[in-house]
Amino acid sequence: MSKSVCLETRELKFSYPDGPTALHGISLDVKRGDFVAVIGQNGSGKTTLAKHFNGLLRPDAGKVCLFGEDIASRNVSQLAQDVGYVFQNPDHQIFSATVREEIDFGPRNLGCSNDKVDRRTEEAIEYFGLGNFADCQPAVLGFGLRRKVSIAAVYAMKTPVLILDEPTSGLDLKSTNELMAVISELHRLEHTIILITHDMRVVAEYVPHCMVMRGGEILAHDETREIFKNSELLLETQIAVPQISELGNRMTPYGMPDDVLTVPEFADEYSRILSGLEEGKKSADRR
Amino acid sequence: MPIVVDLYSQRQSWVHRIDPRVKLLFVASSLLLLLLIKNVYIMLIGLVLIHLLHWSAHIPRERFMFVWKTLLPVSLIMFSMWVIFYPTGEPIAELWIVQITAIGLAQGLVLGLRILTMAFVVFAWLYTTDHPSLVRSLVKLKIPLEWGLILSLALRYIPTFQSMYAVISEAQQARGLNLSEKKGYRRVRAMMPIFVAMVISSLRASDQLAKALESRAFGASGVQRTNLHEIEFRRLDYVFTAIILGTISALLFLHLRFGIGTHPVNLMG
Amino acid sequence: MSEIVRIDGLGYAYPPIDLDGRREWVLRDINLEIHAGEFVSIMGATGVGKTTLCLALNGIVPNSTGGTIRGDVYIDGLNTKRHPVSDLAQHVGVVFQEPETQLFNVSVEAEIAFGLESLGLPAIEIGERITWALSVVGMTEFRQRSPFKLSGGQKQRVAIASILAMAPKILVLDEPTASLDPVGKTEVFSIVRELRQKHGITIVMVEHESERIAEFSDRVIVLGNGTVQMASSPADVFSKVNEMRTLGLSIPQVSELADRLNRTNNTEYVFTQLEEAYSELTGSGNLVRRISG
Repeated sequence: MSKSVCLETRELKFSYPDGPTALHGISLDVKRGDFVAVIGQNGSGKTTLAKHFNGLLRPDAGKVCLFGEDIASRNVSQLAQDVGYVFQNPDHQIFSATVREEIDFGPRNLGCSNDKVDRRTEEAIEYFGLGNFADCQPAVLGFGLRRKVSIAAVYAMKTPVLILDEPTSGLDLKSTNELMAVISELHRLEHTIILITHDMRVVAEYVPHCMVMRGGEILAHDETREIFKNSELLLETQIAVPQISELGNRMTPYGMPDDVLTVPEFADEYSRILSGLEEGKKSADRR
Repeated sequence: MPIVVDLYSQRQSWVHRIDPRVKLLFVASSLLLLLLIKNVYIMLIGLVLIHLLHWSAHIPRERFMFVWKTLLPVSLIMFSMWVIFYPTGEPIAELWIVQITAIGLAQGLVLGLRILTMAFVVFAWLYTTDHPSLVRSLVKLKIPLEWGLILSLALRYIPTFQSMYAVISEAQQARGLNLSEKKGYRRVRAMMPIFVAMVISSLRASDQLAKALESRAFGASGVQRTNLHEIEFRRLDYVFTAIILGTISALLFLHLRFGIGTHPVNLMG
Repeated sequence: MSEIVRIDGLGYAYPPIDLDGRREWVLRDINLEIHAGEFVSIMGATGVGKTTLCLALNGIVPNSTGGTIRGDVYIDGLNTKRHPVSDLAQHVGVVFQEPETQLFNVSVEAEIAFGLESLGLPAIEIGERITWALSVVGMTEFRQRSPFKLSGGQKQRVAIASILAMAPKILVLDEPTASLDPVGKTEVFSIVRELRQKHGITIVMVEHESERIAEFSDRVIVLGNGTVQMASSPADVFSKVNEMRTLGLSIPQVSELADRLNRTNNTEYVFTQLEEAYSELTGSGNLVRRISG
């Protein structure tokens, strides 16, 4: 059974008022429950495209559809029911006196009953491990915590679609892995997730699908593995695959597959090659 | 409509070459005169003259039009308010319950034109003086460096705050903040999440800025701060200073002694 | 080789936020020596005190931040507690993470001039130093441009130039590439490397990107719990996989691989960079090249 289409654009064109064309007639569809990373250099149009999905930007031409319906008639706060957008800088959202109030802001705006708001807030606090900080002032917390709060605040809105703009930038490894684990869990719970990022290691380890952008166009939209195999595309768009993938690619003449994504994969493949050679030697010796 | 990022536009003109202190003197004395003048014809002449100044300084059209676009509504309101509420002298027309007089019209025009002309005078200075020279001129006039720097920073950070407001507004709307239906006081209240986030962000930014300033040895005690582009009076500047002071004195004399410019319509008293 | 930075038992607590708040020691007992011309990278989890340490290196901590300090920091022989920040700024320069808030002038030229004007240098020398600094960071054509309109990488290069022009012997960079895209990151890293190689400037760089750290650093200093947990060569630090994991820090993927292969295949690989890994894995003769060319 094929998944239904969640987000769709048809010939989406857009230019900023004082600039050249930012998006050149983009047509794409994202299926319900997909987890897609949008990658490409700064200026390729990633954020511009994403802002069309929740109505922050409106197309000059073409249309944007959510669950099959054109979103042109809905304003940003209406679309917030269905599309959650986490901005790159948590300080652009944080304004409340306590973490709890910060998180319940979203559900309240969506018109949830008091009970529902409380439930969702507590759930978000627990989910993101913010229990010890629930009554603290978010603005004075450390950066990693502020990031968590800003994401928890959008999570509490329980939107079927979630867009995250560089959620791991500036985070150390542990926080990055914690965060990606939570996001992966959300994907498992059938949220549709769009992740704009530069961190190719995160993409390799956590995100099954990829959309590559350049100069306001989508050059490829495929499984992450397939994208990483396409070295021409990556060279063209100046995207650097994770170190282990690069090592894997260099060693393809030695039998390494060309789509190594993680260290464990590489180690397994390497061991497989070695034991294969061992076997070959043994049978050669026997003869 | 966004305020132009950098008020200064780099051009080659005689106005640009004048020492900023002379321009400051021009601004101060012009503003004084404009406040004293009550005659509509003289005010019109003043407006035309300042336009000529802008033109000969090669100030770009869009910067110039910015002043018009921003202040025309204000001028019109001031003009209309005056004409409606302060009719003096013989009425020449009647609209509903409002009496319109010739003198009232002239006075209203003076009010409206005055604000426009004053703005053009100030902008003639700002559009032709780059920030470092501006700050330097204030320092040379014995204003403490910190004040000049505050002015310079304020001007430089205007576009930063504009984009900060835009981004924060977007972020909060994406969390369901609804601004469209509310008007007036309720709208202001609804915008609190935006304002508070802006204040917090600004505080954070200013803290970082302070550290950056200190890291560049700002405020070194016992050291005389120098300037890359030193400003010095040249012969042309002395000439202009003399012209400005001379013209001011002459006009003041005419104004006080003979009452020129005191009456809205008549040239003398 | 002389030590150009010496930190003896440094501990620091910021002034408490509430009136009755307790003091929280961000740094507890930092002991560190850095030699002239060294390239030292500092790693640590978010919030561990890396920025505080950077600020302690140019005296902003404690001269401007107040709080409580114990121990001493010596920069080029000067004790940071006894000299104002403006004096220390001639020996050590700090580049911060956010380009937007450390660039505050209307033109690149004015930006670089600012620090030199603060030092009271004559205009001619200021002009020369600007020209030099711009050429080092490769931004000569941008002299009259507004910093506002530059890309992230370009902005950071201007920030570096404006500190560089003050001719410090030590350059401290606090996560300079955190908010940059990969192109910007490469720009900044290559300049920093050049500064050390061609100009002999001592570099202290706080970074998360372990792979770049492995490429550039002489030593890696790992902070944790307010103290120095490790201070050694990249090969040494990145082979301690478990410790780094406990501290929540990344290591180059090839180092992870080395560790994994060592455990399963009983090998003793130690590589921290891609080229090393490639030559060791393929050059040991236990692999057969199938496809020629």
